[in-house]
Amino acid sequence: MERLSSASSFWARMRNPEDRHPFFDQIEKLFKNKTGLAGLIIITLFSAAAVFAPVISPHDPIENALYDQLKPPVWEEGGAAKNLLGTDDLGRDILSRLIYGARVSLTLGVVSVGLALTLGTLLGALAGYYRGWLDNLIMRFMDIILAFPHILLAIVIVAYLGPGLRNAMMAIGIINIPRFARIVRASVMDEFGKDYVTAARAVGAKDGRVIFNAILPNCLAPMIVQASLGFGAAILDAAGLSFLGLGAQPPIPEWGAMIAEGRAMILRAWWVMTFPGIAILLGVLGFNLLGDGLRDALDPRLRD
Amino acid sequence: MGDLLEIRNLKTYFHVRGALLKAVDDVTLNMKKGETLGLVGESGCGKSVTASTIMGLVPMPPGFIAGGEILFEGVDLVKVPESKMRKIRGSQISMIFQEPMTSLNPVFTVGDQVAEVIRLHEKLSRQEIQNRVIETFRLVNIPAPETRIKDYPHQMSGGMRQRVMIAMALACSPKLMIADEPTTALDVTIQAQILELMNTLKRETGASILFITHDLGVIAEMSQKVAVMYAGKVMEAADVNDLFGNPRHPYTVGLMSSIPVLGTGKKQKRLSTIAGVVPSLFKLPEGCLFHDRCTMALKDCSRVEPPVTDLGNGHIVCCHQCN
Repeated sequence: MERLSSASSFWARMRNPEDRHPFFDQIEKLFKNKTGLAGLIIITLFSAAAVFAPVISPHDPIENALYDQLKPPVWEEGGAAKNLLGTDDLGRDILSRLIYGARVSLTLGVVSVGLALTLGTLLGALAGYYRGWLDNLIMRFMDIILAFPHILLAIVIVAYLGPGLRNAMMAIGIINIPRFARIVRASVMDEFGKDYVTAARAVGAKDGRVIFNAILPNCLAPMIVQASLGFGAAILDAAGLSFLGLGAQPPIPEWGAMIAEGRAMILRAWWVMTFPGIAILLGVLGFNLLGDGLRDALDPRLRD
Repeated sequence: MGDLLEIRNLKTYFHVRGALLKAVDDVTLNMKKGETLGLVGESGCGKSVTASTIMGLVPMPPGFIAGGEILFEGVDLVKVPESKMRKIRGSQISMIFQEPMTSLNPVFTVGDQVAEVIRLHEKLSRQEIQNRVIETFRLVNIPAPETRIKDYPHQMSGGMRQRVMIAMALACSPKLMIADEPTTALDVTIQAQILELMNTLKRETGASILFITHDLGVIAEMSQKVAVMYAGKVMEAADVNDLFGNPRHPYTVGLMSSIPVLGTGKKQKRLSTIAGVVPSLFKLPEGCLFHDRCTMALKDCSRVEPPVTDLGNGHIVCCHQCN
């Protein structure tokens, strides 16, 4: 096989379909998937909003403006270009609060999914690799967690730790551990029977090395998909907790908390509650679409 | 020269669904340094379990070693603790698997996987490891090793992948290589190349090979000694010339006569087969394990287990006929 010098070899490999890393095929497949691409675009927009919040938001999200209370959006009568999506009862600009809210939601997603992913992967891998009593112990405990209604358990944990954004993230992370543990356990068990695992043991690798170095990289696909879906779920759960007053505390511009604040004036000022609701909807939808797109791109059974 | 590997009365059993499976039952084998021992037998006769037991890779539970010893350079591997066994695996004893398609990790480059073996057993710098990998690739005749080490398994052909497996097995210059049907999954021309390569490497490195296969032709080409296994027991063991020239166990005879012969000029007879099937390990027959398929069975065969008879010159057979 003719090979090119290493400088141009990356692009050469990209062009030659037989020679390139399957990762690029999967990226290409994700881009060709319309709904997956839509999810990716939504999330990119939200991420950009979160990163550049101080630059793009027209107002300070927390600053009160007593003369601008409950201004409607710009296209309604009485609206002004100063507050594109209107203001809430303290005169705070809704658009700015939504943009900063993206920051809160994404941070929360990263932290809680990170927590659930790390612990869930560890527990699932141990259960799937060692089987026997350890498997039973871990997975029955996961079953117990799953037996509680999702939000109820989160409420219990937050009630114990005390309300606040940080504790809400931890609670959401904890209730999501079983999802990851189950998926990782199943993948590890699936991979365990394959020859390369025996081969890894046959060259004298320790159990830890076999699990983390040989098996887990092969389980990445379902983990990535679950992480993406979990992100959406985490945002939704956090909004729920904040709505109940257990998550983000005022004046943090969290979408769920914004809905809760606007609840009292839904008949007078619909925009206070509606726009954060749309933001949650789009955020969760984006992650779910991306998750489904990733599943299609990464699942070998769906490959043509 | 002393024996490199000496297996004495090895018994590897499994508890499966309340039954006791004697996958390897009272197996005695020995190998000298630089020798290739061929282990032949039908599927499920305990060849691979014997190999896993030597490597210490039998899943326990359900498996357990009910007795016997595996002396590797005088050390009993059955009693060696796992931490020490780990140091032996890959560096002293290594293994080549049957399926080159599945026995390489799909998410790492082949060079990385060979490097991993060296990394596990020797303290070398990155550059030294890289050089060793390239050197090993050259040893197993992989062309353009400097670029090939960056390939992923799916970019290589079956024969090349098996060469990588052999490179992995060779990377730390082991004293014993266990090859579990290394050519079964390859097509015939590649098979010949791989066998040739293994023979050359054995001469160059002085490593002994335990060669497991169900292909008698391959055995004849590869090994100096042969052991024939059936339902977990060694039925006959001898020098390769003895075994092929003067097979004594009816099972060995049966195996030999069921090899098709090409180009003898005479009109070919219908290929003979051994009647019946391998008994299930769940329901082994009384007496000699082979008696219900044996053409020369005596009265005693169905009642009394035949003793192991030494015919001299290392030719061992387990049959009432030879007693």
